Amino acid sequence: MTTTAAIRTAPAPPVRRGRPLWWADFTALSAAGLALGIALLGPRLLPDTDPLGVDPYALRLGAVSLALLAAAALSPRLRPALPVMVAVAAVVLPFVLWSALPWLLVRVSGDALGYRVTTFVQDAAYALATLAIVVAAARLARASWWRWPRLGMSWMSAGAALLTVLAMVLVFLAVPATLVGRIAVPLAALTRDLPLLGPAFMLQAVAQELAFRGALLRTLERAAPFWMANLGQALLFGLAHIAVQYEGPTDTIVPITVALGLALGWVTKRTGSLWPAIVAHAVLEVGQAYGVLPGLYGL
Amino acid sequence: MRRVAAAAALIVCLLSLTAAAAPATPPILAAPPATPAGEPWWVPVGLRGETVTGLTAHGDMITVTASGHHLVSRDGGRTFAAEASPPPPALPTGVDAEVRSGADRWALSAGRVLRAVGAGGLSPDPGAPDLGRDAHLLAAPAISPGVVVAVSDAGVVWWRNGATGSWGRALVLLPQSLFVGRPAITALSAFDEPVSASIYLATAGYSTLLSNNGGQDWSRAGPGLPDSVLSLASDSAGQAVYAGTTDGLWVHHLRSLPAIPVYTGADLFNRRVGTALITLVAILAGLLVMRFGLRSRPSAA
Repeated sequence: MTTTAAIRTAPAPPVRRGRPLWWADFTALSAAGLALGIALLGPRLLPDTDPLGVDPYALRLGAVSLALLAAAALSPRLRPALPVMVAVAAVVLPFVLWSALPWLLVRVSGDALGYRVTTFVQDAAYALATLAIVVAAARLARASWWRWPRLGMSWMSAGAALLTVLAMVLVFLAVPATLVGRIAVPLAALTRDLPLLGPAFMLQAVAQELAFRGALLRTLERAAPFWMANLGQALLFGLAHIAVQYEGPTDTIVPITVALGLALGWVTKRTGSLWPAIVAHAVLEVGQAYGVLPGLYGL
Repeated sequence: MRRVAAAAALIVCLLSLTAAAAPATPPILAAPPATPAGEPWWVPVGLRGETVTGLTAHGDMITVTASGHHLVSRDGGRTFAAEASPPPPALPTGVDAEVRSGADRWALSAGRVLRAVGAGGLSPDPGAPDLGRDAHLLAAPAISPGVVVAVSDAGVVWWRNGATGSWGRALVLLPQSLFVGRPAITALSAFDEPVSASIYLATAGYSTLLSNNGGQDWSRAGPGLPDSVLSLASDSAGQAVYAGTTDGLWVHHLRSLPAIPVYTGADLFNRRVGTALITLVAILAGLLVMRFGLRSRPSAA
């Protein structure tokens, strides 16, 4: 039986009488976090080898995510973990594709595409893959545990998007530049790169919001109080940035992204829409790529 | 559970095969000469505690302006002596900066970039931007004919494409906050002999940056150096770059960049096996947490 077939035929995860459903989600999230963490960071303990350039770490994350998803789908005892494992797969598997695409594109086209086109293709594929998993999970599951991400657009959500962006930019600017490695970006760089990288970062924001504040938060919310669900998705969001920053410093980016995840989750809940989080996330992605990463890496 | 274990084993096998197919990283091309083993990127030369604002260097001869005094060293910076009289002005009247690059002479005058080919006179370089009347920073590496970098009096860095002669704004990333503005660019330097294509840029607040593509992109190159760098000089004879800072005079000797090690398949075998085992352990740990966690859920009460 394949995983998708298993999901299709899987009944709603059983809830033992007298036992809260949030415990199953908490257990599943802990199991996924532990397994992904070991797979990501464990090989760094291996001696006398260079972890950079020869370490396809995203593949390990994909393997762990698939294995846990398959286990939850196939084993009746583990089935209560299935909703969270689907949400985790929606986070991890598109990331694996995102990580592998530059390597694949170089194999196919050499260096012809260049950095900006490669980034655009990478982020477009990332968004499409996330959307595909969310849609597939929703269609295949047809179960009571699935909840669609909130995608409604309203004046309130548009206003909230604007206010969120303003608030985050102001907060970010107020943090000392030495702490976050913020860099002044010449206008030339923005005008040169934004036509391709702007839409690319927007797509990346769509993918991550769909996965974290969409699939994962909605899944956790069905059983746990909002604060607990929000904390769960924000923690995973922060820890996921250890993988995103695998070859760079993580001591500042992880706490910052946990706080960001909490804020975006709260805005999503208050407005009933993913759009404010998507817009704020896209603006921050642009700011991070241009203004922060070079500083963090000491370039 | 048997099916789960089989699926996990299959995934780990696939992972191992994919890892085995991953290519080894090629080495970064080595370039310049040997440097004393273990020497830091920047090394203090002397005059610690002094503010070095003016600087020229050629071999063992170094002249500096330190805390307002003109000093000269004839032993590579080991000792300095006060100059009896200040050095004569090095630039003709009306010229704010001048550099030589092969057969070309480049100058900055009243915000305009001028060029003289061979023994000819200076004439405006077509397409050069107006850099403002106070612009005075200019560099042109001799190894890259036609490549020029200049800084406007507003702090914008411009670079000239050596092949086409066109000018563009450079990508220079400097830290900034709401309360502290962008650091000022204080000096530019390139080698006047065909030694290296690197161009160096000094800032008061973000140390030095270097460009290896003719000034188009810049990256920070100041490990160990004080943040406030006020003057720069490239010494082709000594294959070194000197930096005058608020804490004395420092030197960087040209060297190849640190290269990433290249591993053979045999070197990586143990790592791949270890990685596959760790992945298997990670999966088992996740399964165990799920299994025992779901079995021992607390009661709703």
